[in-house]
Amino acid sequence: MIIPLSANGPAMNDYSSPQTCTWCDGCGNHGIWTAIKRALVELKLAPWQVLLCFDVGCHGNMSDKLAGYRFHGLHGRVIPLAAGAAIANPSVPVIAIGGDGASFSEGIGHLVHSIRSNYNMTFVLHNNANYGLTTGQASALTWQGQKMNTAPFGMPEATLNSMDLVFALNPTFVARGWSGNIKQMTAILAAAIQHKGFAYVDMLQACPTYNKFATHEWLLEHCYDANAEGHDSSDFAVARALAVDTSQRVATGILYQAQGVPHFSERLESRKGRETTPVDEVKQVDVAAFTERFV
Amino acid sequence: MNRVSIKIVGAQGQGVNSVGEMCAKGLKRRGYCVFGDREYMSLIKGGHSSYQLDISDTQIRSSCSQADAVVSFNHDGIERNLRDLKPGGILLHQTLQWTFKNPEDQKFLEENDIHVLYLPTEEILRKLNAKPILGNVLITSVVWALLSCFKEELQELVREQFGHKKDLLELNFACIEEGWRYRQEHAEDLTIALPEPDERWKHQLLLTGSQAMGLGIISAGCRVFASYPMTPASPLMTYLADVQKESGMVIKQAEDEITAVQMTVGAMHAGTRAATGTSGGGYDLMTETISLCGISETPLVIVLAQRPGPGTGLPTWTAQGDLLMAVHCGHGEFPRLVMSVSDAEDSFALMMEAFNFAEEYQIPVTVLTDKHTAEALYTVFALEQHGAVRRGRLVTDAKGLSALKSTDRYAPTAPDGISARWLPGSNAPTYCAQGYEHAADGSFDESAANAVAQMHKRMQKMVTLKKALPPPEFFLLSDDGVARQSDQCSALDLLLVGWGSTKGAILDAMEEMQNMRIGYLHYTYLWPLRTERLLELAEQSQKTVLIEGNQQGQLGMLLQQECDVQFDQKILMYDGRSPTVDNIVAALRSSFVQ
Repeated sequence: MIIPLSANGPAMNDYSSPQTCTWCDGCGNHGIWTAIKRALVELKLAPWQVLLCFDVGCHGNMSDKLAGYRFHGLHGRVIPLAAGAAIANPSVPVIAIGGDGASFSEGIGHLVHSIRSNYNMTFVLHNNANYGLTTGQASALTWQGQKMNTAPFGMPEATLNSMDLVFALNPTFVARGWSGNIKQMTAILAAAIQHKGFAYVDMLQACPTYNKFATHEWLLEHCYDANAEGHDSSDFAVARALAVDTSQRVATGILYQAQGVPHFSERLESRKGRETTPVDEVKQVDVAAFTERFV
Repeated sequence: MNRVSIKIVGAQGQGVNSVGEMCAKGLKRRGYCVFGDREYMSLIKGGHSSYQLDISDTQIRSSCSQADAVVSFNHDGIERNLRDLKPGGILLHQTLQWTFKNPEDQKFLEENDIHVLYLPTEEILRKLNAKPILGNVLITSVVWALLSCFKEELQELVREQFGHKKDLLELNFACIEEGWRYRQEHAEDLTIALPEPDERWKHQLLLTGSQAMGLGIISAGCRVFASYPMTPASPLMTYLADVQKESGMVIKQAEDEITAVQMTVGAMHAGTRAATGTSGGGYDLMTETISLCGISETPLVIVLAQRPGPGTGLPTWTAQGDLLMAVHCGHGEFPRLVMSVSDAEDSFALMMEAFNFAEEYQIPVTVLTDKHTAEALYTVFALEQHGAVRRGRLVTDAKGLSALKSTDRYAPTAPDGISARWLPGSNAPTYCAQGYEHAADGSFDESAANAVAQMHKRMQKMVTLKKALPPPEFFLLSDDGVARQSDQCSALDLLLVGWGSTKGAILDAMEEMQNMRIGYLHYTYLWPLRTERLLELAEQSQKTVLIEGNQQGQLGMLLQQECDVQFDQKILMYDGRSPTVDNIVAALRSSFVQ
């Protein structure tokens, strides 16, 4: 299946949905939602040309707030769901969207293995550092000691350093944006979707209802555009140090990108030299050649 | 019935499987129907394992619990498997200066006229300056000579395997000569008497249920297989992985069972055919995803290879204990299909149907198999694909796509509950495949009226599906004494009802009991359940007997629930062992007497 890019491309309106938004006032989802639509429009991808997969969480309520082929699956499982689709049809860009609760607790194994497998897809982490939809419990990315729902005396566990984990897995694309900067998020997402391999995009987002520590104002004060300051995104060691250390400022932008690393499907011997996609190949197969060895 | 059974036993890793496989292939090519059954323990080296071959000129589909010959690699096997021998049987062993210390064993030997042969394998190999692995060919050669087969046949088999290595081939041939000489010098008057061979078996296929299922998956146009290793499902993935360059399939060993099933769902949603395979514990982990497919109406095919539970249970043994799990698993109420294979032939043929029903009804389909079917070796006539790919209401043509609306995806107005389905990347209005309760286009809708309408829509598919499913197959003895499928409904002494891998031993047992009017009703499609044929036949039968490989009689429970049938007797097996023909015969004889 070859999808020709239309000459004129879609408009923002093509991605609009008749459904009313249900996020809280000031929720970072509004910004990320807008950036996703803008990135797709800028890439001249019409709604029928993309597949957006959603985890369960506040971000997942986006699943009927925009057009495009969508799959709203189970909590914690969006990455393998999207990876399966990306493997089956490499000609449709696949974007998986999940929260920090799902992706760094229940689904953390999927995240680990998808980075090492380098599936050809984009993963957008809606990182508000808590479980919003279930009313504000601590996630693995909540700051230690924060008082949260079910942790009234403060979260006892250490905070997981998500970027250190991601970089330990030898990723091919790592970016970080924040929900107040739609222009930068749009550019990051466009680059991520065009990346060949697994693109990890960490979107820091305000959760005005439950996150009282990394607020919109805090993010506004701490985030800076590392690319604008001349960061070389091809340098793994520098990128890792920059991504991991958020003690002073928080670097955003395309932090790391390795070009030309074969993605999962390109590594498969069984697929070498095939022009068609698994989706194109569904037909009855004569197994006569396979049965000779059993005679 | 002219059946000969040879049981090869020893520690795992000693070569039990190589000898079994070599003999099986040679005997099939000579003109015999061969049935092979492997038993082994959940470890790599040292545990006790066996490979039994049952050999006949007519069709056989199961093992006999008693063997004409036991070939033992170690002293453990001599003691453990001595009593598996029939009177007059041969015990071929390789343990130096072995004596039966247990007076009971000695008595058994004498009373049953057992011939004990000691093969000095180590000594012969030393003489030939050959590695221990060549003992396998030496032992096979002795067995081959005892079977009065031709030396050239064995040489040909060995040439196929080692022909590219000249030195090794010569050593193998030397081992064959030594085996032949041993028989002449030590057992010239001993023979394992085979019936006359029958030409028709020579060109048939000899393969395991897992290999047949793999071929069925390939034949059905499946392009992605994602799985996590678990006995006895692993041999299926191993086979598909081995032939991936020829098939061009994507074979993915996932990081866990949830990944495996989610990838399968993603790939199916994208529009290819994909499947996953697992055993009970892995299936437990997949059940949330099965429920998701129920509401999102995504086709799914899962192979559930059963072994005895609960817990880790008996990982390398067989069972039919997961039927009720497959029927009832997953939260909420949703349509599904549960079906079961029973041998190599339907392990091949039914995979096409599994994919077809999954796509036509947009439901999760569980295909049950078990350790017995997965690993047994079957002689089968050429695998023929009678089915064709059916994809139901999948819209792919430009005209059809241009007529679609987003609300066609889950339109509750579809009278049979089945909606149009179209794929990401199709130039058409988009929709959301939705795990939440949803309106017709997949948007959230929590209203009471919508919840009822969508539940009705989905569950209507069960009604439609039940009507479309083939009824259970009924087997009767034909005039030539062979058990075959039949449309008849004549008076019966015994009506047997069962499913899955017990079919082989049941059909073989019927053929051993020619003087009785026995019919066997075999359920391939297990949920939804069709009961008309059962009720009709039960009416005509003196006695109804349920035969299953579980403790509760799970199919019986479902049948009772669906049509209030009561079985007069239940033969339930849950010791993990493969059902054998003689044990079924014995149980049926006693039920006839009762």
